Amino acid sequence: MSRRAATNRPAQQTDARLGQIVRVLSNYSTMVISGAKLAAEIGATRAEVWRLVQQLRHYGVSIEGRPATGYRLRSIPDLLLPEIVAPLIRGTIFSHFIHHYYRIGSTNTTALEAAAAGAPEGSVFLAEQQTSGRGRGSHSWNSQRSSGIYCSVILRPAMPPSEALVFSLAAGLAVQAAIQSFRVPVDLKWPNDLLIGGRKVCGILTEMAAEATRVRHIVIGIGINVNQITFPPELQNSAISLQLATGKEWSRVELCAALLKSLDQEYRTLLERPNARESVLLRFQERSSYVKGRKIYVEENGGYHGTTYGLDDRGFLRVHTPDGIRLVLSGSIRAV
Amino acid sequence: MNQKELRELIEFLKEQDIAEFELERGDVKVRIKRNVPGAAPEIRYIAPHPAAPVEPAPASSAPAVSHSSSAKAETTSPTASTAKETLHTVKSPIVGTFYESPSPGSPPFVKAGDSVEVGQILCIVEAMKLMNEIECDVAGEIVEMLVKNGQPIEYGQELFSVRPRA
Repeated sequence: MSRRAATNRPAQQTDARLGQIVRVLSNYSTMVISGAKLAAEIGATRAEVWRLVQQLRHYGVSIEGRPATGYRLRSIPDLLLPEIVAPLIRGTIFSHFIHHYYRIGSTNTTALEAAAAGAPEGSVFLAEQQTSGRGRGSHSWNSQRSSGIYCSVILRPAMPPSEALVFSLAAGLAVQAAIQSFRVPVDLKWPNDLLIGGRKVCGILTEMAAEATRVRHIVIGIGINVNQITFPPELQNSAISLQLATGKEWSRVELCAALLKSLDQEYRTLLERPNARESVLLRFQERSSYVKGRKIYVEENGGYHGTTYGLDDRGFLRVHTPDGIRLVLSGSIRAV
Repeated sequence: MNQKELRELIEFLKEQDIAEFELERGDVKVRIKRNVPGAAPEIRYIAPHPAAPVEPAPASSAPAVSHSSSAKAETTSPTASTAKETLHTVKSPIVGTFYESPSPGSPPFVKAGDSVEVGQILCIVEAMKLMNEIECDVAGEIVEMLVKNGQPIEYGQELFSVRPRA
């Protein structure tokens, strides 16, 4: 709800044993596993296993069985549990510290607090539901349960803050690549909104803590509308989900894995390749219909109209206006 | 030179009972003048603008400081302090839009007269939808906000003047 996290009620991280149960049941997906074996595998009592199974069912995981008969998983659940996501993103910087929440205020707020407390680079915060998902300024992010991806990551690039702005554009490119790997075309609106048919399918909010010459940490928060079937009336004309756009249900797990892999790739490239920054700007101009020749309204600086005129060498959007070329600094533009 | 090194330097000057000290390294010039032995020192930290990024001095340069002080700094006869009040300015490390509060309509992070600590958030500068929390790099009192809410900010632009706590 704000540019910066207000005080955040500590969110309850998901009981790791829930993920462990899902992992054990998935490993023997065709078999019935006894309560005793499950209990031994995850280091809990049989009574606790029963309670955890009930909890998983409450979250929509389809498990057959009772304590007396043993348990069997009907299908791999589309939950963003570390045990499910981590194996799909091995080799990336994001596979080691995945935190999952069924319900959270805001993944960005929690990630920022964790970063300030020393959480390592590559930490990932995933939630099934956000109760106060945040966007830019006073905007909130509609975060219905288990229908979107609400994901924040911590990065700690060794560079001055002025050079870190490129991550904002790179994050947009990464999400676009992830969605397009499922053969769905998505447009990019500067600096990093993702649009289908002019409606928003993904929003990104990046927050940074830095000293004058050195970034301490960057938190990139990504909200993707995946399987929403309806939106509140005020969003109906401006938001869209992948399911609404394609007419099919999506696997959030697969999309989330694709997202973290493509984010990892952009990030490593930016750290390692000398010309990566230029490459980000170049690719952005190629993959966004907003960068050149687009009539837009810019909300900052009292508001003004103009026609987009490419990016400058730092990635700021240039706009041709009757008063000459102006630079959009912060980010809020819309097509007119 | 960072706060910690500055403090170490002051401690060193106290120990050696050096009344006045000046150091120039690249774009940074430090001048320290002490009134009476043992009293709190007057600090002048001069960074020419546009603020050139100050290279954090490697730990191994600590001996170099004492070296140059023994070589360059001379113990002059104690003089009455003539230095005027010097204010510290907090500058923006990025280009962007300045916001005085965490969200539109909410109270500002700080206002003139507020006491601030090192690391306290003073404002947000937004660039490309990236929110950069600007922290105070000195403990003291906010004297003035030098820019307006919503104003475009240049790299190195002065945002706040702060009276450092003695």
